[in-house]
Amino acid sequence: MSREFHPLVKQLLDGERTLYSLPPELQAEAQEAVRLLGAMDRRDVTFSSGLEARVMQEVRQHSTARRVRANTDPVLWRWLTAPSVPPWVVGAVSAASVIALILVRPGPTNDPEAIAQATAVAPESVFVKFILFAPAAKQVTLAGTFNRWEPGTTPLVRVSDEGVWTVTLGLPVGQHQYAFVVDGQRWVVDPAAPTVDDGFGRKNSVVSVSLEQGRVM
Amino acid sequence: MLLAPHLAGQGRADARLAGRVPASLAAAVTALLDSAALRGLPGAPLVDKTLEGVAKGAPTDRILVAVRTVFHQLDAVATVLAETGNTGADAVEAGSFAMSAGLATSDIGEIARTADRAHPAATALLVAGTLAALGVPRAETVALVRATIRSGRPVGDLVSLPGQVQAAMAGGSPPAAAAAGLARAAEAHLAPGPRGKGRGQGNPHKP
Repeated sequence: MSREFHPLVKQLLDGERTLYSLPPELQAEAQEAVRLLGAMDRRDVTFSSGLEARVMQEVRQHSTARRVRANTDPVLWRWLTAPSVPPWVVGAVSAASVIALILVRPGPTNDPEAIAQATAVAPESVFVKFILFAPAAKQVTLAGTFNRWEPGTTPLVRVSDEGVWTVTLGLPVGQHQYAFVVDGQRWVVDPAAPTVDDGFGRKNSVVSVSLEQGRVM
Repeated sequence: MLLAPHLAGQGRADARLAGRVPASLAAAVTALLDSAALRGLPGAPLVDKTLEGVAKGAPTDRILVAVRTVFHQLDAVATVLAETGNTGADAVEAGSFAMSAGLATSDIGEIARTADRAHPAATALLVAGTLAALGVPRAETVALVRATIRSGRPVGDLVSLPGQVQAAMAGGSPPAAAAAGLARAAEAHLAPGPRGKGRGQGNPHKP
């Protein structure tokens, strides 16, 4: 089943305009389109079998996390950290989302800063991209079972003026619970992810990683 | 002196508490870790919950309550899984997660009994826990996981269930209805056998 959206809504989906620039009568249609796109973006992403080798070659040749922050030209890292959905999608759909990128066995590299955290992950890992829309935040970090709940060890990088923060981690198989920490104080769940009670009167977000086809549930 | 593997693991867990946890809490959690080791339970979830509580600034007594809850979940899951022949730590941890998401031990047992070589209990319980965490009620969660396994579909199909439920939810379907629809589709996948049995019952991967 397919559906034809209004041309202005298509421009929105193409990233050519923002949700809030649309006339009121198109807001509902636009939000539905964004919601559908958000659902699609949560599905697994599969790549050709030769991608792993190309990715690791690029990692060795190019990027470092610091260069990314300096906004030089780390092609691979920018690809890894760039939001998979335009900022307006993230903002319109929810505050955050988790997206499976690719199953990779982290290979040897001479550049330990090339992939944040990835060099410390288990041999069979899935890279997961965490996204938070927090326009007013000065700092966003990620705390969870994968980093011993230390809020200071996994910062997100602000990747847009609109306030989209992201980080990509290699997570081993299993279920992981986490929360975003905004400005060092506010614990924020991922509204796009499943949640469980944390035992302390709050909720934890959950990401479950399976080795089968490198899936994130 | 050689340590049994699970005791060696507990030693690492203790090291993780050092410097981050008040001494009184560390002592109480270490006692729980010792009990867990004696029962063959994984200690990592206890350490994780302790560190989480400290990071979130929870009071010590509340942290201890939360850690004890995890301990009892692990113990209950290990007991019910042992009855089904599943003793792996990964299955126990996955079952504990499923319980924290809202499943009961009876649900854990039912799913574990349905699991087979091609659909390991740990994976099935991870999927079930994730479905429950998405808001799928217990009955629908168990029915969906069981139907998918019994249909003989590849394990990738099982793992994709939470994503499929989320996609349906994004389209406006309630979690229960989304799961029920997928379960019906899985049941429809069962081809009638010579005696009218479903293909899943004749799963060649079943040990």
